[in-house]
Amino acid sequence: MLTFQIKRLAAVFAIVGLIGGGATSVALAGHHRHHHHHHSGIPQHNGGDHDADNNGGPSDGDGNI
Amino acid sequence: MNAHRGKIVALAIATAVAAATLVVAADGRSGPSPSELDPSAFAWVRPSALPPGWTAQRLPNSPARLPTPSGWHPSRGDAGTRTTIVKGPDGRIAGYLNATPRQGEESTASWDSFRVDHNRDEGERRVRLLASATGLRFRSGSGSCVLDSYVTTSGHRYREVACIVAGRTETTVVVGAAPPRGWDAKAPAIERAIDSFTT
Repeated sequence: MLTFQIKRLAAVFAIVGLIGGGATSVALAGHHRHHHHHHSGIPQHNGGDHDADNNGGPSDGDGNI
Repeated sequence: MNAHRGKIVALAIATAVAAATLVVAADGRSGPSPSELDPSAFAWVRPSALPPGWTAQRLPNSPARLPTPSGWHPSRGDAGTRTTIVKGPDGRIAGYLNATPRQGEESTASWDSFRVDHNRDEGERRVRLLASATGLRFRSGSGSCVLDSYVTTSGHRYREVACIVAGRTETTVVVGAAPPRGWDAKAPAIERAIDSFTT
């Protein structure tokens, strides 16, 4: 009977581990955010490119600087 | 013995529930997806035909077309892109539209963080994300949008709607911007342009 109980307890804790592990995986996936950093240092006021924001205009849709 | 076994099972289940609760709490999220902030701000996004009297500029080597509202004019931009603007009485840009093919790591899934980070990287200051949404439907695909504001290094303040739209073959970014003081006047044209944008 004791062996049976130990096996039962082990099964329950295995379920606990699965629930906890699964939730952790979801949490980590939720935290996967894009962090995009460019530091090319192109000077503004049309110093480096011809983007509108370097000439008093808004930022365009480019994915680079 | 059965009562004892029951206590053990109950304790284990309580532990499982507590562990799951802690994990969710540590994640710090209990509301909508972090990729969305006030998505109702984009309720105006509805695919629509090009309004009468408007034209559309086709991007080079791309099926994308940037709508040009009546009274707006093409302006210079990066190679491979299209820009259209309208100026105010003071000669400054009062309304701005730009379409640019996807160039880097930008994607519909990470658009909110990408765009805000990108604006900061370009030297814009006081960049504020005001709203964002994903899973929006456009004329030729689906996409994500942000509404944000910033100040350029030359001291000009703008509010913008920037969307990334994934079409059948091309993914394109379309941006509409105007100075905050003139936003209400230009927003209808900007929103209509984005509604009729294709890629």
